[in-house]
Amino acid sequence: MSQLDPTIDLPLAAPPRRVRGRIRVPGWVALLLRNRKSRAGLCMVLFMVLVALVAPLISVAHPNDFNLLAARQAPSWHHLFGTTDQGSDIFSQVVLGARRSLLLGAAAGILATGVAAILGITAAYSGGLVDEGVNFLTNVFLTIPPIPLLVVASGYLKSRGMVTMAVVLALVLWAFEARILRGQALSLKSRDFILAAKASGESTPRIVFGELMPNMISRIAAAFVLVFYIALLTDAGLEFLGLGDMTKTSWGVTLYWAQTNSTVLQGEWWPFFFPGAALAFTVLGLVLLLAGIDEVSNPRLRTERPERRRLLAALVGGRLVARAEASA
Amino acid sequence: MSALEVRELSKHFSIGGALRRSHVHAVEDVSFALRPGTITALVGESGSGKTTVARLLARLYDPSSGAVLFEGSDVSHVRRRRDVLHYRSQVQIIFQDPFGSLNPVKTIRHHVERPLRIHHIVPSAQVEERAHELLRTVGLVPPEEIAAKYPHELSGGQRQRVAIARALAVEPKIVLADEPTSMLDVSIRIGILNLMVKLKEERGIAFLYVTHDLASARYVADEILVMYAGQIVERGPVEQVLAEPLHPYTRLLLAAVPDPAKRDAERIGTRKGVASAAVDPPEGCRFVSRCPLAIDVCSHVTPPLVEARPAQAARCHVTAPAPSTR
Amino acid sequence: MTALAEEPAVRRTSRKALLELRQLAVEYGSGARGVRAVDGVDLEIREGEVVGLAGESGCGKTTVANAVLQILRPPARIVGGSVLYQGEDLVGKKPEELRRFRWRNVSMVFQSAMNALNPVMRVGDQFVDAMRAHERIDRRRALARAGELLELVGIDRRRVRAYPHELSGGMRQRVIIAMALSLNPDLVILDEPTTALDVVVQREILQQVEALRRDFGFAVLFITHDLSLLLEFADRIAIMYAGELVETAPAERLGTNPRHPYTQRLLQSFPPLSGPLERLSGIPGSPPDLSDPPSGCRFHPRCPHCGPERPELYGRQTTERPVLREVEPGHRVACHLVEEEEEVA
Ligand SMILES: Nc1ncnc2c1ncn2[C@@H]1O[C@H](COP(=O)(O)OP(=O)(O)OP(=O)(O)O)[C@@H](O)[C@H]1O
Ligand SMILES: Nc1ncnc2c1ncn2[C@@H]1O[C@H](COP(=O)(O)OP(=O)(O)O)[C@@H](O)[C@H]1O
Ligand code: SF4
Ligand code: SF4
Ligand SMILES: [Mg+2]
Ligand SMILES: [Mg+2]
Repeated sequence: MSQLDPTIDLPLAAPPRRVRGRIRVPGWVALLLRNRKSRAGLCMVLFMVLVALVAPLISVAHPNDFNLLAARQAPSWHHLFGTTDQGSDIFSQVVLGARRSLLLGAAAGILATGVAAILGITAAYSGGLVDEGVNFLTNVFLTIPPIPLLVVASGYLKSRGMVTMAVVLALVLWAFEARILRGQALSLKSRDFILAAKASGESTPRIVFGELMPNMISRIAAAFVLVFYIALLTDAGLEFLGLGDMTKTSWGVTLYWAQTNSTVLQGEWWPFFFPGAALAFTVLGLVLLLAGIDEVSNPRLRTERPERRRLLAALVGGRLVARAEASA
Repeated sequence: MSALEVRELSKHFSIGGALRRSHVHAVEDVSFALRPGTITALVGESGSGKTTVARLLARLYDPSSGAVLFEGSDVSHVRRRRDVLHYRSQVQIIFQDPFGSLNPVKTIRHHVERPLRIHHIVPSAQVEERAHELLRTVGLVPPEEIAAKYPHELSGGQRQRVAIARALAVEPKIVLADEPTSMLDVSIRIGILNLMVKLKEERGIAFLYVTHDLASARYVADEILVMYAGQIVERGPVEQVLAEPLHPYTRLLLAAVPDPAKRDAERIGTRKGVASAAVDPPEGCRFVSRCPLAIDVCSHVTPPLVEARPAQAARCHVTAPAPSTR
Repeated sequence: MTALAEEPAVRRTSRKALLELRQLAVEYGSGARGVRAVDGVDLEIREGEVVGLAGESGCGKTTVANAVLQILRPPARIVGGSVLYQGEDLVGKKPEELRRFRWRNVSMVFQSAMNALNPVMRVGDQFVDAMRAHERIDRRRALARAGELLELVGIDRRRVRAYPHELSGGMRQRVIIAMALSLNPDLVILDEPTTALDVVVQREILQQVEALRRDFGFAVLFITHDLSLLLEFADRIAIMYAGELVETAPAERLGTNPRHPYTQRLLQSFPPLSGPLERLSGIPGSPPDLSDPPSGCRFHPRCPHCGPERPELYGRQTTERPVLREVEPGHRVACHLVEEEEEVA
């Protein structure tokens, strides 16, 4: 994944494109919608967001209502996704669980990306002591092994609520993002338009946030999506291991109970399948979105490349296609 | 009176790691003055340090030594925001690459209006009007339409005009133009050059015109500075220097210009070499490895800049010997 | 260049035709949004000859070169005319035949080719790759050959071990040229090979190309927007405007007696290095949008000789497309005004 290579040079975020006279869609959104992968990913994620939004309306019962008479029922019209061994409705658990998963992912993503962007970009632009300080900090955080920290943190923290989890995940993941964003900011910082802004008297904060940052939108979005799905997966994983708050409704918790009660051994696949599928669907959507962002923002990954390279390999001097003239 | 004076300016970039650190002498002992209402051309091969000089004057780099005198005081190390802002409101730079010097995600309006707001050139209510006026000055019409565009929607020549409009927004006394036409089509170049001449004549702006195109230097400039490997090797009135160059390097540059008239003519012979700044250079003339006139002393003693003819000076032991050895 | 003195252009241009373009037309896209980037270009390159192709950016020079090599990629396609190579039409040839053809006969140095070297591969390995893709040659010999080629273009053969970033822009450009010569082509197409470089480096490179051309006898199609360069280096020059060829003539003749108003203005865009200085005007206006080119003569909106004050000419200029006509042996111009003057004379 090119996400891991901070030295790769990215084209700038695309400028806004005019759509029908007045309305302007930010250029990178238009680009994302034109890329097949990111369009599919975006649709999948938006679908989940929609489900989460209308969850209270479509959930038929309180997710933790139990009714032993209706326990262990296979999917039916009455219980779309079947019921648990306690007789709780799995459909309700899954749609309401989407709220927690998405909120947590988004919160962790915003926190980690915000910290990473502010620290990474400021460090890259200022250089010198500030840069060295931030570098030291990121290195410290990068050396902390994340999984044990998470297990310990979620095991010991009193309130194992969503906010705590989001903060812990953000703490674990920000350094990684900061390093990537710093790398890109470094390559942008020496571009002439940044120097030009400086020469016209622009102040440092304005250069960082007004001139540099808007050019990194696609990379920042990519960082956000990455943290989003890592957080989502990690959280579900921890809950599945029983390290979460077992009284709440979430995909991980449903999976945990399914596993504890060894439902599959008794031929009941649905308590596993539906929350698992919801998780897989969301993560797949996010991964596609990320792949799409990567492709759009990194011409070296564009799908037409191999074809063009093959064509040009037939020619002397055409070992690689010259960079787009615009980036000259 | 000079608008800006440069005295013995040097800039060394350090390269290599902390252990084996060496220094690129990008600019070495450069002195000259820019006068109001004149265009001074700075010519030289790529890598000779022209851009570095322009950026030093724009306060984008800190000099290693030397002074930049502006309004009677040395500004090369001012740090107070108020002083820096004052300097930036008087000295503006135009970059070489019109495709890189405009922020791709900002409109043309942003680029022209920001300097007006930063330096409070006009009350906010008039900013838009003034921006349109500036775009009109540089020949971008209709300004209302141009202002709403993004850089990628303009051609190279139009972008460079935006860059010029941005530089003019603060009504500077000094404009540093770093190869403003080298990335543009020939048919557009003349337009930009004419614009510079017009601004010099109408507003008395002092221009530093950085280029490697001698013919265009002759077309617009009054004075010329020839740079080689970080040093100024010749300076003087442009017509005089190009008609009767003193330094062997100036002659080489002149000979390299494509000229149909010289189709079959003989050319000055040179040995290969590069003009880029030397890493930890030794004493002696930096042109010695390529110079057809070199004598013994050239490789031991750095020649000083000597005024061998009225107003024309060169750094060469042979063609411009120092008075003591004459 | 001195070589030209040794071998008069007249002799070189009397050889037999290597490449002929006949009424070549190339379109990007199709239908209403189609752009005809090249429209009816006739051009001939003889063996061992240096032909210059000049014009403002966007006028279709690179597109012509790509059409010669048959490497146009969709949405571009040849919509008319033929590309005759030693009498054989390349349009419509199978990819496999073309692949061999390109290597044996024509090679091209792309615009901004300096950046086309793989940054993480040694220069020598890139040569070896290029050679081995098309010829059975063992690594050792290929490397030795790479060294020889580098020396040909004035780079120390030990530099085969260098990475591209260790070379200056001018050296990288020379490496690319050496690669283009690695299979003894008959025709080398150079697309703005020196635009990014300064005059001294540019001259060195062109001198090397010229020396190699003398030794190996290949023909050169030299594309640039710097007409003054062509006047010095080319045998024959073709001027393009908005997808059309407007004038072709031997270099000396074009320099001293340009006939097309566009060529005249283009030549006047260069300030002189000696002699009297006068204010130049360049060419007012800008090149037309090729998706909606001006009717009649495409240059008419910018042409100083076009106006309602000469009604008989004005009507033709704005409605009828001028065609290339010979005004002197080897000198052809597409302009109604020139045509009229010739008739009077
Ligand atoms: N930031 C830097 N770090 C290290 N060396 C530098 C830096 N900037 C410039 N140099 C070196 O200083 C010398 C002069 O560079 P400069 O960019 O001023 O040349 P130039 O004459 O403008 O060339 P060009 O025509 O290619 O722009 C070169 O040798 C260059 O490698
Ligand atoms: N991929 C493309 N799609 C559409 N139009 C193109 C494309 N490439 C080039 N053109 C158009 O074709 C014309 C000729 O382009 P080109 O041959 O690259 O010009 P030059 O080499 O003279 O700069 C221009 O008008 C350009 O806008
Ligand atoms: S000082 Fe010597 S080496 Fe330098 S330019 Fe003069 S003659 Fe040549
Ligand atoms: S045909 Fe007419 S408009 Fe076209 S170039 Fe000739 S004189 Fe000008
Ligand atoms: Mg420069
Ligand atoms: Mg081109």
